[in-house]
Amino acid sequence: MRAKKLSDLLRAGDRVAVSNITGREASTVSVTSQKYCGNIIGGWALGKEGQFLEVAGGEPIPVFPTVEELIKKLPKKRQPNKIMVYSPPQAVYAEVKEVVEHCKETVETIFVVTEHVSVEVTAKIAQMCGQAHIDVVGCNSLGMINTYDRMRVGAVGSDNPDESFRPGSVAIISNSGNMVNTMASYLLSAGLGTTYGISTGKDLLILMPLKDLLDLARKDERTRMVVAYIEPGGLYEKEAVEMLVKTKYPKPIIAYITGAILEKFELSLGHAGAVVEGKETTAPAKMKLFDDYFGIEPFDPNKKYEKTDELAQALNRGIRITSLHHLPEAAALIWDVLEMERDFKPSKPLTLNPWFVDYKGHGKQLPSNLLLHKGTIPEPYASQIKQLSQAVGASVARRDMRNASHASSNDGITPRLYGYPLDEEMKKGSFVESLLLAWTGEQLRDFEVELMEKCLIAGLSNGPGTISAQGAKLSASAGNAPNTAMIATLACLGQVHGGNGQQAVEYLLRVFQGIEIEDPYNPNHDVNLRELVKKEAVRFAKVRSAAKEAGVDYDRIPCLGHPVFRNDPVNYDPRERVIAAYLEEKGLCNVFLDFYHMLAHELKELGIARNVWAVNVDGAIATVVLGNFWRALQEKHLTVRRVCDIAFLVFALGRAAGAAGEYLDHNDYGLPMDMRIPARDCIALTRSRERRRTPREQAAETSAAG
Amino acid sequence: MAQITELPFLEHLATRFNIPAPEYLTAEAGGSEIRNALSRWGGRALVKPDVLSGRRGKAGAIREVRDHVEAQRELKHELGREVNGNLVRTTYLVQYIPSEMEVYSAITYDSRYMGPSLTVSLVGGMDIEEVAPEKKRTIPIDVYKGLGAYQASEVLADLGCPKGVVSLLSRSLVDFWDMFTSTGMRTCEVNPWRITPEGKPYACDFKAVFDEANFKFKNLGFKLPEYPANVTLFEEEMAAWNASSHRGQAHAAELQGSCVLPILFGGGASTIVTETLMQFGGDPIILSDFGGNPPYERMYGTAKICFDHLLGKAKLLLILGGKANNTLIDVTFKAIADALQNYVDENGPIHKPVIVGRGGPRLTQGLLTMRDTLDSLGVPYVIFGPDSPVTQVAEYAAKFAKTWQEIGGAQ
Repeated sequence: MRAKKLSDLLRAGDRVAVSNITGREASTVSVTSQKYCGNIIGGWALGKEGQFLEVAGGEPIPVFPTVEELIKKLPKKRQPNKIMVYSPPQAVYAEVKEVVEHCKETVETIFVVTEHVSVEVTAKIAQMCGQAHIDVVGCNSLGMINTYDRMRVGAVGSDNPDESFRPGSVAIISNSGNMVNTMASYLLSAGLGTTYGISTGKDLLILMPLKDLLDLARKDERTRMVVAYIEPGGLYEKEAVEMLVKTKYPKPIIAYITGAILEKFELSLGHAGAVVEGKETTAPAKMKLFDDYFGIEPFDPNKKYEKTDELAQALNRGIRITSLHHLPEAAALIWDVLEMERDFKPSKPLTLNPWFVDYKGHGKQLPSNLLLHKGTIPEPYASQIKQLSQAVGASVARRDMRNASHASSNDGITPRLYGYPLDEEMKKGSFVESLLLAWTGEQLRDFEVELMEKCLIAGLSNGPGTISAQGAKLSASAGNAPNTAMIATLACLGQVHGGNGQQAVEYLLRVFQGIEIEDPYNPNHDVNLRELVKKEAVRFAKVRSAAKEAGVDYDRIPCLGHPVFRNDPVNYDPRERVIAAYLEEKGLCNVFLDFYHMLAHELKELGIARNVWAVNVDGAIATVVLGNFWRALQEKHLTVRRVCDIAFLVFALGRAAGAAGEYLDHNDYGLPMDMRIPARDCIALTRSRERRRTPREQAAETSAAG
Repeated sequence: MAQITELPFLEHLATRFNIPAPEYLTAEAGGSEIRNALSRWGGRALVKPDVLSGRRGKAGAIREVRDHVEAQRELKHELGREVNGNLVRTTYLVQYIPSEMEVYSAITYDSRYMGPSLTVSLVGGMDIEEVAPEKKRTIPIDVYKGLGAYQASEVLADLGCPKGVVSLLSRSLVDFWDMFTSTGMRTCEVNPWRITPEGKPYACDFKAVFDEANFKFKNLGFKLPEYPANVTLFEEEMAAWNASSHRGQAHAAELQGSCVLPILFGGGASTIVTETLMQFGGDPIILSDFGGNPPYERMYGTAKICFDHLLGKAKLLLILGGKANNTLIDVTFKAIADALQNYVDENGPIHKPVIVGRGGPRLTQGLLTMRDTLDSLGVPYVIFGPDSPVTQVAEYAAKFAKTWQEIGGAQ
């Protein structure tokens, strides 16, 4: 072993390089580590060179093709001394070999995080690195943390290491990576922090075994106690205990040995108990080993421990715990009996603290010891939950969608839309209803479908002069096929023409954030629209006036106003009127549409508008889309993004269909190239300029003339 | 676990690696074939069951036969037996090797040497753990250079092996190593080598476990026999699902319990939670480890297999893990929630309480997703964060499940 003390494995100033750094896990963990301690000087991934992993508020991490290139390109001062191997199992041997070949001079420790590395490769790594005088932690290690130096390699401490790791007196050595984190957080409740947390990995061969780590912990001045999480397999503990006895190990150890009951089922727990190594590899053997060494029964939380010399002597060596949540109490016992000062004030004792409880009416049947009440959610989780609870729309888990779809399926017999058979949809015979199903998987009420149909019709056309219709006509004029003409129309839609509905949905969601509306079409809703409109109009007036004063642009209210319907004292878009009339006829309202109309009046009242602006057709579409999918958003069935997109799609689909009409008409009656603007009608906005001759050209001309 | 016994060794490995082994016939051999073989073998043969008998061996299940009628009868008879609770895959007839000496040998990866080791004893045919330390030797093998004949001879000589045997046996041990390292084995054992009076060794029983992570195992050149292992349909499906990808673990084994269905994360947490459940009467149905940051589709598939096979008989669903370091909780919990919803869609409502405990990246979104799904399914739940110790949550789940059964749950 090269390391002489625990800090040699990881300390401030270490320069870490990461293999396969652009991999899914490696990149996430590296970015978190870089934010936490900034110790990563680069990584390598063949074919991904030249990239940088962006780190918010930290130094970006450069990616090189190979470790050899990394060594060549980085200045001497930044050469890595610690390596994290995140490569796939089949590449691990070659990666380590490359590291040994090219960085033998600087690298002190290699952490192999990769799982499923073959034991043969692990043995070869052990030998190769042993000869090169490089320490290896792993394979299948989660990494390590040095709490005092605030340094980590790997994923120990998850995305927020500070939450579990506070500087203190305990070194954690664990076969399980997850348990490093868990045990560190348990110790906090005993008023104990950590010096180091090390995940050894739990493969058949553990290349940095317990004995070596205990030896390093002995020399670490800050470490006053060691906590060890041990699984069956290997003779690591036997060798460790022999060392403890031989060296009269001066620091107490808390050992937690798991796997005893499961061994009865002959189930492998990561370690494969090697036949040849014998019975000493089993969990009961390891328990006995430690119990014999400690000279005291395992910790019993119900026992009253009398402070005697004998107890102090035993606890000086340590004690075994039989349940993980006894860790803080056992640690506290050692600390109290040995009269050591805690690292900090103990936090509240470990106990069950439910964050959400709902017995669904069966609580009364439960005995009091099982009846739990909602506890206090600690920070930062409480704030996060509050924020998330207020947000509308589904939050979805992303996945590989290459060959997967929620929207459609076909089992070879029946094509389906969100699971609904297409043939049944055909029999029902409503295109719009099926379309909405295909877009959302939601089934709407009849009047909602009717409203949506009106929106689609409204989108069909606004005359041949609209730029979307012009797109189809230009395409027909150029001799394109019908589909190309529709594409041309779609290509002429954007944020300004057609996309305003999408912005209106976003806008309305912002305005109505936190307001409870059970059904936006219910005229008896209890939303105080007057107050809401006033608040919004005042906000807009302030923003507008500040922007005007500063001479900068500002965000307009989407969908208010129309280039044609603008000259009356109170203006309306006739297409919106159809929607409004239909709602009235049905005895319904649309709370968002009402808001828009009231806002238009309020803006006039405030003098922001010279007359009452029309709520344009995009606005009408937006209010119908939001009305129709409000419940789905509240119940988190649909994402906000999808509902916004649908507002755009409704217009786009109607307009593309309308454009097909323009194409058919133009294709029959139009002349080829008739959309072309003659050159004489085009206005030149720059003066004609001839290219000036260079002095050399002028000289050449003169000499030729001479 | 990828393992083989003597018959596949005789069929595929012994000749390929020049390891002297007795001749054999499979159960399909006809009467005349057996008669000829017996006459060639000096009229003595053994009928053996091909069975995964674990450490306890198949002693007692081996029959010596002396004529082809008896051989055929025993070949059929043995087929219907169970050896130490394991079903027999097939039976075979193997040449009897007369011997006055038996030797034990095993090669495995040894934690003491951080590499392979060879163990030899002249007390063959016995469980090596029962052999006195002075009667067995273990030596490290250089993983790059391999086992040298000289090394093997030295060990044998050190144990007092007769000179006449050392030379041939040490050469066979080198071939034994060659097979071990060429096929990606994790451990293998010949017990015993029977040494003929002429000093020739024969590998007379064999077992090996392959390292499934070793690429050599993947290119073995023959298909591993399918032993009628005691795996359930669930275990079989889960094992195939686990092997289909290395992204995230899908390890599960049935424990014959019938109360708590534990969906657990992380090897460490899985073990201690399962043990705690056992300790407090939770009678867990499976041991599971679904950690390793599985992506959505992986976790969904894993949860679906668990629910399809086991949720029906479970009294309580426990979804529990420690504070994850890199498993994304929102992704994994969304996948489990969707699988649960899918189960209800296909099988109707469930009236089983769900206990959840977790910590890790993107926790709150994950817990809220789970809560919303459980609410929409109408099942009772208690959800814990990382501030509640996993073992205490497991203890609570075990006690809750027992009580729920006693009070008749939602019935």
